[in-house]
Amino acid sequence: MSFILGTSLLAVVTALACALPGAFVVLRRNAMLVEGIAHAVLPGIVVGYALTHDLNSPWLIVGAALAGLLVVLGNEWLIRTGLVTGDAPQGLLFPALFAAGVIFITLDFSHVHLHTHVVLVGDLNLAAFHQLSVNGVSIGPRYLYVMLAVLAVNVAFITIFYPKLKVTTFDHQFATVLGMRTRLLNTSFMFLVSVTVVTAFHAAGVILVISLLVVPAAIAHLISRRLSVMLVLTALFAVVGALAGFWIAYALNAATSASMAVFFGLLFIAVAVIDALATRVRRYRRAGHAGIKGLLVRPPHEEAERLDGSSPAPSPQAAE
Amino acid sequence: MDLIEFFGNHTFRMVFLGTSVIGLVAGALGSFAYLRRQSLISDVVAHSALPGALLAFLTAVVVLGVNGRNMLGLIVGAVATGTLSALFANAIAARTKIRIDTAMAISLTFFFGAGMLLLRVISDGSFPGKGGIDDYLFGNASVITIADLVTSTAVGALALLLMLVFWKEFTLRTFDPVLSTVLGFRAGLIDTLMFTTIVIAIVIGVKAVGVVLMIAFVVTPPAAARQWTRTLPGMVALSGVFGGIGSGFGAYLSIMLGNVPSGPVIVLVLFAIFLISLLASPRRSVITTALHRARAREALRRALLAEGTDR
Repeated sequence: MSFILGTSLLAVVTALACALPGAFVVLRRNAMLVEGIAHAVLPGIVVGYALTHDLNSPWLIVGAALAGLLVVLGNEWLIRTGLVTGDAPQGLLFPALFAAGVIFITLDFSHVHLHTHVVLVGDLNLAAFHQLSVNGVSIGPRYLYVMLAVLAVNVAFITIFYPKLKVTTFDHQFATVLGMRTRLLNTSFMFLVSVTVVTAFHAAGVILVISLLVVPAAIAHLISRRLSVMLVLTALFAVVGALAGFWIAYALNAATSASMAVFFGLLFIAVAVIDALATRVRRYRRAGHAGIKGLLVRPPHEEAERLDGSSPAPSPQAAE
Repeated sequence: MDLIEFFGNHTFRMVFLGTSVIGLVAGALGSFAYLRRQSLISDVVAHSALPGALLAFLTAVVVLGVNGRNMLGLIVGAVATGTLSALFANAIAARTKIRIDTAMAISLTFFFGAGMLLLRVISDGSFPGKGGIDDYLFGNASVITIADLVTSTAVGALALLLMLVFWKEFTLRTFDPVLSTVLGFRAGLIDTLMFTTIVIAIVIGVKAVGVVLMIAFVVTPPAAARQWTRTLPGMVALSGVFGGIGSGFGAYLSIMLGNVPSGPVIVLVLFAIFLISLLASPRRSVITTALHRARAREALRRALLAEGTDR
């Protein structure tokens, strides 16, 4: 397998592995918690590397994922004490953990050769450097298979717990009434997210991990009304974004993960704008008008709504 | 090294004073973000200050031909992109069905990704003074000059002055937004002013602390101060003091330790202050709550037993 093919495959698999659980992260409103997890795994990775000397060691992955889980459980604990209000609990723990990680790195505590730069954006090419070969034939980067395994675990988890995930995501109280162990499910799901973050970290860095987890799912959420459709679209956007970001970075000689993050942001804006325009045209047609004017003129009933003093923002029912 | 030696050294003095000013301003103004439950947007603003700071560097070096690291340009650029990112996140949440937490993550990764691309452009190109430009990520307090200190103190003082002048409006808007609107205060204007002061508090820290960890300066001191006080003036003042002293002490520690960036050390010191406050403040803390509960349980048990023997 050629280096470019292996690396672009790695980009696609990493994006898929992150984006699929990301769909639930977006729907469960955990996006900023994932931001915390992504920062908090750093000390776990550094300490794990000091002990194992292998960034792909399963011990390191599980240990660092536990550090990420610390943010989730700590957040829950801080809320339960009732002493810290608002969204502050989410912002209190992860900077401290991340700071500890940065200090470990600069003190060269574990001789982990991580530049603080790489921590933030990762290095896909470096991650793909270690190639595997069977009988002298290269079968792609070793890291690709680690990511494939994580992807498989994520797909398996989502498939097995699909009904439960669906109920707890959309109607948490109902799930509790049914007697589901919602906290256990939530914690295991967050642990899986944390494992995904740790493994993808190597290629994507803190920031792109968040982008991969959140943005493809958010784009899919914009234009889908069913969970199954949303999952398929999420996977599609993840693949498109990974390939586009990879080739843009390759052509411009820029950092791959930063290009992907920016590309995903632009894709989100494009889809949001097109979706808003399409909704407006559809509504205008239904109101008995036709043509491109719908793009420019506010639909009459929306004016009426405004005069009523109600919110000008279209409700989902109105958009339907 | 003793304290006299420490303060006798120009660089160390700059580090100490620079970080203390940042901690004081961010701590005091962060109180309003905390009480309005908008702490996480500070994280978005801080990360998104990166492309602005770098654009300011490029503009200064390429267009104006001056020192790319001057503090005023940095502040202007960082305020611009930081504010844009917050507006972007709010626009997504208001106009689409995406909720605010996802919107913040989208805005943060978009702006920070752009910043990392710009960083690559700068480090690949030949721009005077580009060495150590990635200090904007984790901060390097030892490059603070007297001019920087004067600028950030002046801008920080301006933000604090705004807070004092509009104290009544800020307080009312924070605790009773409806009443504030009914009384005729313009909600949009007050929100903009309050938000501007918080953004200023964030961006003056970019050079010394870096964009990645600045959130800790805005969130941690108010959360610690809240455990000790029940009044707003008390909270703002104490939060400022915690921020200032924690930052100064953290900077001192980082110099003692040697080759360690000051930002992360300060963050750990602030976190320690928060933990102590949360666990052991006399008025409201984990231990106080546990003691109260134990006492109440004991009193109830005694009352029930007494009732039982009466019968």
